[in-house]
Amino acid sequence: MSDQGIKSRPKYQPIAPDPQGRHHLLVVDGAHVPAEALAEGVNPSAFEVWTVAHKSAVPGSAAMEEEAGAVRVFRSVPHLFSALEERLARETMGLRLYAAGTEPFLWDAYGIGARAGLSQQEMAFAHVGAQARRIFCVHCRTVMEGVTTSIATCAGCGAPLFVRDHFSRRLAAFMAVQIDAEVPGEVPQAEELYS
Amino acid sequence: MTAGESLQVRVRDIVELAPSLKRFSFEPAHGGLFPTPPAGGHVMLTLRDGGRVMKNAYSLVSAPMERARYDIIVRLVAQSRGGSAFLHRKVAPGDVLEMARPVSLFPLASSAKKHLLIGGGIGITPLLSFLPELKARGARFELHQLSGGEEAPVFERLLAPYAAGEEIRVHGGGRAAFDLAGLLSRQPLGTHVYVCGPHALMDAVTATAAALGWPRGKIHKESFGGAGGGLPFRAVLKRSGIEVEVGETQSLLEAIEAAGIDAPCLCRGGACGECRTEVIEGEVDHRDDFLSAQEKAGGTVVLTCVSRARGPRLVLDL
Repeated sequence: MSDQGIKSRPKYQPIAPDPQGRHHLLVVDGAHVPAEALAEGVNPSAFEVWTVAHKSAVPGSAAMEEEAGAVRVFRSVPHLFSALEERLARETMGLRLYAAGTEPFLWDAYGIGARAGLSQQEMAFAHVGAQARRIFCVHCRTVMEGVTTSIATCAGCGAPLFVRDHFSRRLAAFMAVQIDAEVPGEVPQAEELYS
Repeated sequence: MTAGESLQVRVRDIVELAPSLKRFSFEPAHGGLFPTPPAGGHVMLTLRDGGRVMKNAYSLVSAPMERARYDIIVRLVAQSRGGSAFLHRKVAPGDVLEMARPVSLFPLASSAKKHLLIGGGIGITPLLSFLPELKARGARFELHQLSGGEEAPVFERLLAPYAAGEEIRVHGGGRAAFDLAGLLSRQPLGTHVYVCGPHALMDAVTATAAALGWPRGKIHKESFGGAGGGLPFRAVLKRSGIEVEVGETQSLLEAIEAAGIDAPCLCRGGACGECRTEVIEGEVDHRDDFLSAQEKAGGTVVLTCVSRARGPRLVLDL
């Protein structure tokens, strides 16, 4: 059940700077750039890197360096995303955006990039870390984070939901549909698939 | 491939904009309204000069919401293969011509945050049909028109109706005085660039934008005519079992059409690929913007609307 043969399931590749790009910004949802996120032989210094420390004590970034090799540290993911929106709003053509981290992080970054006018040709993503899914209940629109099982109970409407591989880039979430819609009460055992 | 039956159009009026530029306005010959054209669309006119039949594509410069008339602007080219000279010298108000319904190979990107339009000379024509559409959408845009000094006032006048409060500039000094790299390097994310003009300008915009990191999907170009003639040659149409002579000022496609073969075509400017035909024998002088470098090197296909034979003979699977 882990490969449902659904084409919208995103595929990822290790990141290498696009030789056509003029400036390369890499955002990660941890304190460091994970080695497995980069293609062989690619050094993090090829990018301007934004990281998330997940703590309040972060070094100040007095000099706002915006060049390859510069590293800027944020307290949290929302902190980083808020700065990313502001940054992209004043960027010029030629920028490439890269993200490495969990899937919800990658696709939230994608949404920010797309709203700023970046096309898929100008963004690249590497999935590293947890496999846990953000899911979207197609019946009641509730979004749930960190789902690791094949079947989950919707926090919004209580429906037993089957977690599909059907992925919405717009919502940055996997679609989840009621599993006992035809035979109420017939719910298979949930399996731990996405930990 | 053309959309539906062709239209019969009557020349309403002809206005001389400059010594070599005329605007032709057409109305439906049998009354009623024209179909709504796409922004950036072009029409194909069938021009009958004595026994010779020419089919030339022209951008519509009238607004897409204008259905009572279609306007085109035609430059009289010194090296004309006949179409522009025929329109300039022989067509008069009241004449009825055959016109294929408008199609667009140069659409505006709906996801663009900003549209950067660059025109060179008569390449202003498809951009003129973009302007009312961009205004109607409330889209953000910037237009730069390159021109020789003597024609700059003509382009200023054509752009004047759209100029209020917009970034529209005519550069009368041509390419030399135009900072293309500066312009392309300061565009915000999400900008799409559209260029129409001489090949040298389109190549410069494409190459400069790519070097500055613009992705291919955000660079759009519209080529027109400019194929010119060449040495005459013989084309063998294997499937039809006939041979045609292609004259110096005639295109391969025109020669095929003159022989009564209904060959595929759409843009007639080497841009769309509709007339792509398999080559069985002979060397091709590729002049299109459609085939990839590999396809051109492979030598097994030809776009009949602009490309020619490099030798005396070309055998086609047609």
